[in-house]
Amino acid sequence: MSLINEKKDFKIIADLIPAMSSVIDVGCNDGSLLEFLKEEKDIDGRGMEIDQQKVQLCLSKGISVIEGDADLDLYDYPDNLFDYSILTYTLQATKSPKNVLSELVRISSKAIISFPNFGHWKIATSLLLNRKMPISEKLSYSWHETPNLHFCTINDFIDLCDETGIKIEKQANLKTNKLNKFNGKNLLNSYFNEVGLFLVSKIKN
Amino acid sequence: MSENKIVELAKEQALVLDCGKSLKSIKTAYTTYGKLNAAKDNAILICHALTGDQYVASKHPITKKEGWWSYIVGPEKPIDTNKFFVVCPNVIGGCMGSTGPKEVNSETGKEYGTDFPVITIADMVRAQKLLIDYLGIEKIFCVTGGSMGGMLVLEWLSKFPKMVHSAIPIATATNHSAQNIALNELARQSIMADPNWNSGNYYNSDNKPLKGLSVARMAAHISYLSKDALHSKFGRNLQDKNSLDYSFDADFQIESYLRHQGFTFVDRFDANSYLYITRAMDYFDVSSSNNGSLIESFKNTSSKVLCISFTSDWLYPTSENKKIVKVFNTLGINVSFIEIETDGGHDSFLLEEPKLFEAMQGFIKSTYENL
Repeated sequence: MSLINEKKDFKIIADLIPAMSSVIDVGCNDGSLLEFLKEEKDIDGRGMEIDQQKVQLCLSKGISVIEGDADLDLYDYPDNLFDYSILTYTLQATKSPKNVLSELVRISSKAIISFPNFGHWKIATSLLLNRKMPISEKLSYSWHETPNLHFCTINDFIDLCDETGIKIEKQANLKTNKLNKFNGKNLLNSYFNEVGLFLVSKIKN
Repeated sequence: MSENKIVELAKEQALVLDCGKSLKSIKTAYTTYGKLNAAKDNAILICHALTGDQYVASKHPITKKEGWWSYIVGPEKPIDTNKFFVVCPNVIGGCMGSTGPKEVNSETGKEYGTDFPVITIADMVRAQKLLIDYLGIEKIFCVTGGSMGGMLVLEWLSKFPKMVHSAIPIATATNHSAQNIALNELARQSIMADPNWNSGNYYNSDNKPLKGLSVARMAAHISYLSKDALHSKFGRNLQDKNSLDYSFDADFQIESYLRHQGFTFVDRFDANSYLYITRAMDYFDVSSSNNGSLIESFKNTSSKVLCISFTSDWLYPTSENKKIVKVFNTLGINVSFIEIETDGGHDSFLLEEPKLFEAMQGFIKSTYENL
């Protein structure tokens, strides 16, 4: 998806990650986020990518990458192997977002998750007025050809985290480029953010 | 083009083998391509498979065919000999000039035959290390190979981790599966069932166990291909005839092809070597010296690794290769993995497979740039 290469997102993700962290980018695309984080934060990065063409691109850039599927291959990693895991614009395309989310917070201390917010007012209004599945810059596929299986809103995501024993630590506002402490669910949040970008971790028992 | 060289090593101190016996004055036949640079950081060691040899990128002296990896090794190729110093030794136990059953035992003045000690993959790697030391290489830039070659790569990573900067094990496994042992046993039994084998004493006879070796090769060859590839290449097509012969001649093209594979193989391979090398593969378990713990076996490895498998390989399937990836991931080793989609079967690593070339080239180039 075109979104993944947005430098703005990269910057805010980099702000969430301390220097020298170990990081896995799940659905790492051509590896440009990992390259950016290497440059900015000198991370020890690994990638996972399902598209072989993109795996080849990562290899040619010197990025360590596993050809794999977030739904199937995260199980192969031991607990807390990484400091951070990243999943950008992929959660909605997984078969089981709940399992993927649980796996991410299992293999890393903290996870950074971003996804298109189906609750954004433009999307909601488009559906309400046109009675057709919305197509926007962030959701650029027709309903019959979209790879996205599980659309959700920011509020849905917050509920899923609750159910899965996951704590939301921070939320990014991509309009203002600010990181905010997460203060719980509110209507405006789901209305005005086109993208949900969260820093989460597993609630320790 | 590289000339074959032979060096005699372990002249003073014998190499102690896993079986407890030792070998002295070990001959290793090898080829090299390109030049070792002043920093000695551009060496690539290529490990051949069961029936491979040191002629990786030069014309084979017996078959007159191009080297077995000439698609991959050469100027401007994925392993670029303009940049890298490539070393490819014939394994011990082999039959192309390295110490093996068909060579003369200096103590008896006769060919070893089955008096040759049973060797292991680890023994082959120990002998390769002697060669690398002899060439003055302290750290090999990259060790690579497919199938049994991949086992040697894993053994290098486990036993001499500090000597390996990066590695590409291809279509391989951390140990031999029951299915693979079974197939090797079939091959060995067909050699030993040939009366000309004569308990391994045939070197001075006019009658060599060619039939047995040929059948062994035919059986093995089937396991290197995939059902789809066999079907698309041969189907049920008949060989130079329009109808069935109602005989046991080669009616089908696949029969004729396999017979050809068998006949031509015996010209360049020694039956006893086939027994010894398949045994080494069967015995292979990279974790055997660590009570079966793969984690222990690779705990000192810090090399950058690329594992490659092929979708249609049922001999060393993706699942076996992924097992390696999983262990390396657990240890935090910089490992990459790619599964190449092809109907070429296990043999794919020897075929013209652009996706394989692209992956190897990308990995090798970027790894060397970041050295």
